[in-house]
Amino acid sequence: MIAAAWIALFAPAAAVLAIALADMRITRFQAGVIASGATFVSFAASVTTFVLLLGDDPEERSHSSTLWTWLSAGDFRAGMEIVVDPLSVFMMLVVSGVGFLILAYAVGYMHGDEEERRYHAYKALFVFSMLLLVQSGNLLLLLAGWGMVGLSSYLLINFWHFRHSAVAAGKKAFVMNAVGDATFALALFLLIQSVGALDFQTVFARAPEVFDESGPAATLIALGLLGGAVAKSAQVPLHTWLPDAMEGPTPVSALIHAATMVTAGVYLIARTSPLFELAPAIHDLAGVLGAVTLLLAGLIALVQTDIKRVIAYSTMSQIGYMFVGVGLGAYGAGLFHLMTHAFFKALLFMAAGIVIHALADEQDIRRMGGLARELPFTYRAFIVGSLALAAIPPFAGFFSKDAVLASAANAGTLGWILWGAGAVGAFLTALYTFRLLFIVFWGEPHPSPVKREHGEAALSMLWPVGVLAVLATIGGFLQVPGAWNALDDWLHPVAESIEEASGGTAVFSAVAALLLSLAGIAIAWTVWGRPSDLPERARRRWPWAARTLERKFYFDEAYDLAFYEPSDRAASLAARYVEEPVFLRSLGGLGRGVREVSARVAAAQTGLVRSYALALATGLAVLAIVFLVVE
Amino acid sequence: MSGPGIAAYLILSVLLFTTGALGVLIRRSPLIVLLALELMLNGANLALIAFARQLGDGDGQIFALAVMVVAASEAVVGLGLIVAVSRKRVDLDVDKLTSLRG
Repeated sequence: MIAAAWIALFAPAAAVLAIALADMRITRFQAGVIASGATFVSFAASVTTFVLLLGDDPEERSHSSTLWTWLSAGDFRAGMEIVVDPLSVFMMLVVSGVGFLILAYAVGYMHGDEEERRYHAYKALFVFSMLLLVQSGNLLLLLAGWGMVGLSSYLLINFWHFRHSAVAAGKKAFVMNAVGDATFALALFLLIQSVGALDFQTVFARAPEVFDESGPAATLIALGLLGGAVAKSAQVPLHTWLPDAMEGPTPVSALIHAATMVTAGVYLIARTSPLFELAPAIHDLAGVLGAVTLLLAGLIALVQTDIKRVIAYSTMSQIGYMFVGVGLGAYGAGLFHLMTHAFFKALLFMAAGIVIHALADEQDIRRMGGLARELPFTYRAFIVGSLALAAIPPFAGFFSKDAVLASAANAGTLGWILWGAGAVGAFLTALYTFRLLFIVFWGEPHPSPVKREHGEAALSMLWPVGVLAVLATIGGFLQVPGAWNALDDWLHPVAESIEEASGGTAVFSAVAALLLSLAGIAIAWTVWGRPSDLPERARRRWPWAARTLERKFYFDEAYDLAFYEPSDRAASLAARYVEEPVFLRSLGGLGRGVREVSARVAAAQTGLVRSYALALATGLAVLAIVFLVVE
Repeated sequence: MSGPGIAAYLILSVLLFTTGALGVLIRRSPLIVLLALELMLNGANLALIAFARQLGDGDGQIFALAVMVVAASEAVVGLGLIVAVSRKRVDLDVDKLTSLRG
């Protein structure tokens, strides 16, 4: 079992090395096959681990294995150490499974790109980083995976390095993530100081003895971890990088949104839940941030015109649900939504990728329309993804979103507030999802001469979409309220949910959310499902609202004002008042001084041999006299 | 061992060395400058050998031999330079050879 877990971890890393070393000796297609094949090996090994772990007694399903001591300082040790327990195996399955489908799809999607080898190597690196993150047995190694995920996302977002906007987006993602990495690292320093170890077992065993509940240390540590989670999972206020990250190729977006990266924050909170439970204020804060994000992102998604950005905002919004879940202590529900979201979000991105391909890289939905006839398979896949995202039964999203909302409804006053946000979010989700669907696939084709290149995509791209469509349809039955709780039971030993749905509130919550979702679809149909001037009228009636949404609630502008502008101004002031007078002018003076002195020295060089001889003789005489006197 | 004491040798050696040094500083013909240089070297040689004899070991003599070798080489190079200069039809005057002025 342990061996299988190590294979799952290192297979993608081996693919990265193989592609990098083989260089031009393999074709681009082979590079893609190596990368996706390695991820499949990883998935197979994860399944093996899972099956073997099933054989254990439920309370003894936690194994760890250390290859070597990675770092030691005094009493502190951190090993190259993995942990195999229900939570990590769950994440391994999602990451490698969905990751494999995306990598397989990318082979077809990226076909013909000049730098395909680099691309496939980066993607395998991304999967490796994420697996390292979810498998690591201590927080330091987790942080290493955390940083590598940030690096891989940077490399992939600005993969098309000739596009200025892509490079800027990559940089933005890296900087925003670095903020989170920093708070995460600070939390680890505090942990080392107070607990003296970073491996999960020791930390969780000793945390209740060392920290007072709600004490400053516990709160600061939880806050630092939350900062990391918020940045990586693109939650308010560190969310602005995610929509810009759409500059990368579409399969990258799918990978970031579904399998790797953004779910890391949710995983972190679930994994370090014992620490968060010692700081209830921060734990609640996670839920509140999730609720704020899911509302803001849902509203912004309503006015976006880029097909990928709409889906990106929907990711933020759905991760908001997961944060609400794990923030309220309903880890099973949050992780359940993580899994179903991985299915339908990867599905939506891949379908969007096929649309973008078919329209020769057009991403503006105002120039799309009537694609249902041209792309029948993609259209159906997109419907499945949309229904799952809008949480319509029996699609996967219904069960998982319902699980989150039902747990919220059971969690007291704060829970009810978050439930309200989630319910409104469900309405918004249905609205923007079906707005996208109607605009892109219904109506008449846009009259402008958009070049139509491909038509329906090749089979190599369609089959992963098909597999995901099936998963998005049936994935929800893993956990049916009132019938069975497979996932909760499985995760129980690691992250025991402190909130569970029950009885009447659960039924009420499910029915209310479902009605709101249906209302959202109905309104989307009235506004965008048929020719209508409603959007225009609304825009004219409330121009400020449209502007606020289009400017994404002015987060970018606020950050510009708060961070970029002051440092830019300080830099130009420093240039004018420090660099110019102090450095530039003093350097000129220094140069002139050296010149003058050397001119004087050069005058001594007369060219007369006799004067040199005289100087020698005089020097010698002086030396001789000095020696005689000293003697 | 008999003969004049060490002082006599040293006085002669200093006389030779000073004559040579004055020659180097004062004379303008490169040939004479070379000759004066040889005088300086031999003044030093005389002192070395005198001390070697006084102390009764061979070190000074070996030094003197080395100085002779150097002096011979120096004469070769110096004379070669002088021939080269005169070929250029330049006056043989060390004060006029000042193209290395800084």
